[in-house]
Amino acid sequence: MSDLRIIDIEKRYGAVQPKNDASFMLRPVRLSIREGEFFSLLGPSGCGKTTLLKLVAGLLEADGGEIWIGDKNLTNVPPESRQFAMVFQQSLLFPHKNIEDNVAFGLKMQKVGKKQRLKAARDMLEHVGLSGFGSRFPDELSGGQQQRVALARALVANPRVLLMDEPFSALDPGLREEMRELLSRIQKEFRVTVLFVTHDRDEAFALSDRIAIMGEGALRQVGNARELYERPDTTTVAAFLGLRNILSGALENGRFVSSDGFLEVDGISQLADGDYFMVIRPEAIKTAESDQSGHVRIQGIVQEMKYSRGMYSLKVRAGNQLLECLFTTAQAEKTTVGEAINLLVDMKEVRFLKE
Amino acid sequence: MWRKSKPYLLLLPAAGTIILLFFGGIFDGLLKSFGYFPAIGETELTFAAYDSLLHSGSFWESMALTLRIAALSSLLSAVIGALVALALFFLNDSMKSASPKAWHRLFQLPLTIPHLVAGYIIVLLFTQSGFVSRLLAAFGWIDDITDFPVLVNDPFGWGIILTYAWKEAPFVALMLYPVLSRIHGSWREVSRVFGAGNWQFVREVVVPVMMPAWAIATFIVFVFTFSAFEVPYLLGVTYPSVLPVYSYQLYTSGTLSDRPEALAVNMILAAITILLGLVAYYFSKRWNVLKGWG
Amino acid sequence: MKRHPRLLSLFVFITLIIFIIVPFVPLLLSSLSFGWRWPDVLPESWSFRTWEYVLNDGRTWQAVGISLWIALIVTAVNILLAIPAANALVRYPVRGRWLFEAIIFAPIIIPPFISVMGIHLTFLRLGLTETVVGVVLAHIAPTLPYMFRAVMISYQTLSVDWEDQARMLGARAVPRFFHVVLPHLLPGILAGASLSVLISLSQYLITFIIGAGQVVTLPILLFPFVSGGDPGIASAYSLLYAAIAIAALVGMDAALKRYYQLNKASQGQAKGVKP
Repeated sequence: MSDLRIIDIEKRYGAVQPKNDASFMLRPVRLSIREGEFFSLLGPSGCGKTTLLKLVAGLLEADGGEIWIGDKNLTNVPPESRQFAMVFQQSLLFPHKNIEDNVAFGLKMQKVGKKQRLKAARDMLEHVGLSGFGSRFPDELSGGQQQRVALARALVANPRVLLMDEPFSALDPGLREEMRELLSRIQKEFRVTVLFVTHDRDEAFALSDRIAIMGEGALRQVGNARELYERPDTTTVAAFLGLRNILSGALENGRFVSSDGFLEVDGISQLADGDYFMVIRPEAIKTAESDQSGHVRIQGIVQEMKYSRGMYSLKVRAGNQLLECLFTTAQAEKTTVGEAINLLVDMKEVRFLKE
Repeated sequence: MWRKSKPYLLLLPAAGTIILLFFGGIFDGLLKSFGYFPAIGETELTFAAYDSLLHSGSFWESMALTLRIAALSSLLSAVIGALVALALFFLNDSMKSASPKAWHRLFQLPLTIPHLVAGYIIVLLFTQSGFVSRLLAAFGWIDDITDFPVLVNDPFGWGIILTYAWKEAPFVALMLYPVLSRIHGSWREVSRVFGAGNWQFVREVVVPVMMPAWAIATFIVFVFTFSAFEVPYLLGVTYPSVLPVYSYQLYTSGTLSDRPEALAVNMILAAITILLGLVAYYFSKRWNVLKGWG
Repeated sequence: MKRHPRLLSLFVFITLIIFIIVPFVPLLLSSLSFGWRWPDVLPESWSFRTWEYVLNDGRTWQAVGISLWIALIVTAVNILLAIPAANALVRYPVRGRWLFEAIIFAPIIIPPFISVMGIHLTFLRLGLTETVVGVVLAHIAPTLPYMFRAVMISYQTLSVDWEDQARMLGARAVPRFFHVVLPHLLPGILAGASLSVLISLSQYLITFIIGAGQVVTLPILLFPFVSGGDPGIASAYSLLYAAIAIAALVGMDAALKRYYQLNKASQGQAKGVKP
């Protein structure tokens, strides 16, 4: 087993500063990534995800903590000897070397013979769908092709861990999806451990086995895509995942009342009294054709309707709140902007959060 | 410890070489200008050399000549350089298809020519029996060699000034051209829309934009011509001579006692150039002219 | 002005040509003339006498050789000194950065002969006068700042990501330098080298003081002719000297172009240099 273990790794601004809270670029992080796992670090820019990635790579020096792979402590091993590979946002192909030499570079550094390393490079280029491009130069390739070469170059030396720093964010949206599929396929084929940094939640959801959500230099929540989306721990995580229906309010004797007094929900027995945020996923809201048990009825006025990918996204004004709901076309056709609408919220899908 | 001192170790060879070979030489000269010659038993520091220099007429005449030549050379180069840059700018504007690269090369030609050769070119052009004099004679404007003014090896220094004007004008143009090319084509359009003619465009847009770079370029030419040796040595007269030549004459006069004076001239030159350099640096930083000059 | 843009262009063009090209005409005529009396605009008769003299004289080629040899050594030393210094100033937080920059750039402002006259007697004592080594040492200060500046600008356009990428592919410091850093710096180094060669080639006074007439570079050989020798020979030497300076520059330029063509490091890739 050679899991990647990150043990309380931390980074402060200007290493000599005293340990006060504001000086952290990255608060101590503890993570264990299984061999062959696709693990993503997801968060807005400036949340410390790239810092964490560079600490794992060794390109930044940690102010505390350790990095282990299997039973080897890599904390003091320089990046060039960690046998990791990294793909950056830019393809960073060496402009003076042709594609083959670029891909073979890592093997050359390991002193692999010329014939052998060029053969490996050609094989790897075939895997990324670029066989026959070997003798071209980087500037003759498109952005997507360059990034494929960068991927091939990273994988050819059989790295213990593949680190990726927003590798597709400079590409066009269509190309990005294509690259995701390619990466997903290749990752499974080579069973390589991937640590992937992105700010794009769709990308993280599409690719990852598990995701760590980061914010303000700290780890917020770790889990698979569904766990995170359906059971966020905090409103920050919920908001970052695109959940906008967050209602503040108070719970007393199993009855939640939103702070604007518009919404009242009964029968919440499993929680202690106190202030809560109620998070309603857009999919948990339906049009009210008939009263159903376990649902809460809300009245509102449709403010906006947008069509996207087979579904309608509606914004409904309910009290002071603008609720986002996701309707099928059939449901949506029954209403238009400006009309009153009755909504049902499935209470099984609703989450109450303390912060 | 290694981490912290690494950049200083990397800087050491270059900085050390300059300190040893360059500042060492200046310091060596400074000591000797104070009469410190351990080799001949002189270890006392005196201001004798400076004293006699500052009281000698020839030093002040040299100083005046040097200032005059530097001022006239830099002004002439500045005017010609600006005209060349403007000409290139408008030519490029009107001949969009032609490749401008080849031309720019051509106008940098005088920059590549060594100073001695440039000086000799001026000799051949402007001596009394030179090419210009021949052309004038061919047109019948002069009848005799002596009708042509003495412009080379003349006490005023015209030959030197002409050489610098030819050689440094392209430098001024080179400094101005990138600034001018920043004047976007659309500015031209805008000023046309507002009814500005070519001349107004030059006055209202072009001149203000190129002013800082122009001033700095002129100043650099001034500092350079103030302290350059080769051209005045070739094209000047023995007396009065510009400060670098004066220093060299003193240094090679044969008597060891003149050497402190020569080195004292050098120290005064160094002090003036450092001062001028700092002024140029200050203004170029302030006006953001010399990007990348550190 | 607006009505005759073509005419105006032509006029400007011709003026510029007169300013740049015409000064070379008397130089060329004088080197090819056989007796050229005032007021003749063209020589009475033509001859290759001066060229035969100049090109057949062994001293000419010796001077060319020594000049280029000195320029090349100076440039090589400059490269070795400039790369680590530029690296330090661009990549590391250096205390007293202005002081280091001031030290290295000082010879641009303070004329080098001041330093050379000062150090002359010390060089004499160390036996460095009248030697090529001494002249090389004298040429380093006036040329190093230009090389340093060129390399520094190159370094500034090389993002650390490139080196990080090479590290992640297992490249240690030395291969990293040769495979990633040096190829990127090469154009800058070549630009700095052409300046360094040009400036070294054009030094008269400091070569004369240190070389004491024993190290005969082109300007040393040329000077007696231009200051009152045979005008024909002086002209021929001047043209040769100018041609070598230009050739050195053009050669460097061609090497640069060739480098770009061979390696196809064109604009498109240059954009990715600084993310």
